[in-house]
Amino acid sequence: MHKYFPTQEIGSLKKPSWLLNVVKNPDISKEDKAKARNDAALLNIKTLEDLGLDIIYDGEVRRVEMYEEPVRYIEGFEFAGRVRSWDNKYYNKARVTSEIDYKQNFHSDEFKFIKENAKHEIKVPVTGAYTLADWSYNEHYKSKEDLVIALAKKVVRPLVQDLAKLGAKIIQIDEPAATTHPAEMEIFRDSVNESVKGINTKFVVHACFSGNDYESLAPELPKIKAQQYTLEFANRDSWNLGVNDKERKGYHVIKLFKEYGFKGEIGIGVTDVHVDKIETPKLVRDRILYAAKAIGDPAKIYVNPDCGLRTRSRTIAFEKIRAMVKGAELARQVIGN
Amino acid sequence: MISSYTVGIYPRSEELIEATRKNAKNLSSLYLAGKKEYIAIQKKANLGYVCDPLLDWDDIFRPFSKLKSVKLEALNRVYETNTFYRKLSFDGGLSDAGNIIRSNLAVSLLPKNRAACIADPYTFADVHLSTKYKKKEEFTIAIAKMLRKEIDALVKSSFGLIQLVAPSIAYNAKVDFGLVKEALNIITRGLKAKTVLHLYFGDVSKKMEKLLDLPVSGLGFDITSTPVSSIKKHSFSGKLLAVGMVNSYNTKLEDKAECILELNNIISKTKPDESFVTTNFDLQYLPKEFAVRKILRLGEIAKGVKSA
Repeated sequence: MHKYFPTQEIGSLKKPSWLLNVVKNPDISKEDKAKARNDAALLNIKTLEDLGLDIIYDGEVRRVEMYEEPVRYIEGFEFAGRVRSWDNKYYNKARVTSEIDYKQNFHSDEFKFIKENAKHEIKVPVTGAYTLADWSYNEHYKSKEDLVIALAKKVVRPLVQDLAKLGAKIIQIDEPAATTHPAEMEIFRDSVNESVKGINTKFVVHACFSGNDYESLAPELPKIKAQQYTLEFANRDSWNLGVNDKERKGYHVIKLFKEYGFKGEIGIGVTDVHVDKIETPKLVRDRILYAAKAIGDPAKIYVNPDCGLRTRSRTIAFEKIRAMVKGAELARQVIGN
Repeated sequence: MISSYTVGIYPRSEELIEATRKNAKNLSSLYLAGKKEYIAIQKKANLGYVCDPLLDWDDIFRPFSKLKSVKLEALNRVYETNTFYRKLSFDGGLSDAGNIIRSNLAVSLLPKNRAACIADPYTFADVHLSTKYKKKEEFTIAIAKMLRKEIDALVKSSFGLIQLVAPSIAYNAKVDFGLVKEALNIITRGLKAKTVLHLYFGDVSKKMEKLLDLPVSGLGFDITSTPVSSIKKHSFSGKLLAVGMVNSYNTKLEDKAECILELNNIISKTKPDESFVTTNFDLQYLPKEFAVRKILRLGEIAKGVKSA
């Protein structure tokens, strides 16, 4: 019998402090730094597997950050400097100053290492074209759409093609900016479709922190060539137990997805990545059961945190994952799976 | 030459970014030095009005979190940007307001031609919460009364121009202009300072008639969201017009000659009582190096435009 509610992570974990001390130390050799990164990747792989996740990666332990990392390897970008995300948090924003081009598969070594060392299924996170464009200054392309499509065709597609050739069975296109501009949903849809064109592997799209509760995304879901969406929901939900509409207010929109004819899978965010409070397994269970009923088929529900857990301490992140795995087990028990 | 100014929060320098991340001991002195530097740059650019760069503000509303009855809530996206602000919950009376903004500005560093930036009451109430004022109308009016006290304090400190930033009026498809007008009346009635309502993050072409009817001295437009052609269709006789021509959302530097030509054209068509060229919104969406170039370019453009 198919196991309902497989559990997975979204991507990033906070890097261990010992790793940061090594990689930032100019007196440590390149070889020793590479070894430290491998050790950290192994630690994350083993920890996530021991916690019971069905689908894992390495906590993106080798990547600087989801935007800066790929931009370093794409021709046509120049970093401009840091700009504020909120309060005292910043990101290094780049300018597009010439034609975009793909230089190399910048996730190749990382993927090979994980493939060799992981026992569980692997899902590779790749930053999407729309987010790369939305988070950059466009000084070169005539329109944002031109830039997005160039990134999709010339960077993301060859990258996922390479990863698929290397054996990637599940690739997650990270698009946190997806719903930032409701009027640009068609550009977003086209960017994903161009990115995955002709590539035979399972594609997951991750979006989060939608300003309009994914209402602008819902009509596009069936038109996007992805088999699964991993979305943030817990952030907008209540902390009370229950499987009714009142308590599960964060998950109402799943019904809308169904109304628009979406027939794929949903990886539901059951863990709020911006608070230290740990969700109880019972709360996770209720969120899963509500979502399963809303979509009308428990086989279509996967379980994950809202987003990457890198903003939480490692201890908190692992406690949240532990509760999530237990919650999925409780939900399976309820439906007799 | 026409007048000019910048709108909103400036970006922090790399040194200040590091200091804020580490909560450095010398943070206050770094803020002060950063403010002095930006004020000097505005003076060098010969801007018509000089503003505090608000380097120590986490967002345009955050100083109000110091009020007794206000508490911090969740992070929210600033309209369609990749920047977030913290929602505030106004859960009680606002009698302790009146000096929040002034006390958070480096007033003594500013020259006499000084301007201050403050959210308009409709926008303010639109993006925050209240458990005390349950109806939106009630909350907006309470905010307007609070802001009037704040603005009176600024006017007493010789601020001659008050920028009322109003992205919600531009962004929201439906706007209760009756409420906007009532709230702005509270702000501007008998005020001895110019008030310019800055509209950005949305195209206001279809709202223009209603905007021109509002009780403010003038309107400011972000021309990356409201086309210049829409502005040129209207007479600004009896009003001030601020054209947000310098784009704070792109590093690409504006072409001086093109901007001057466009501004001369806008002014000749709209015939405002007074014209300004401004940034379209906060320079904080750019790294410092690019923001400085934009400020200097703003001054160059203003210098080249014929006044009405």
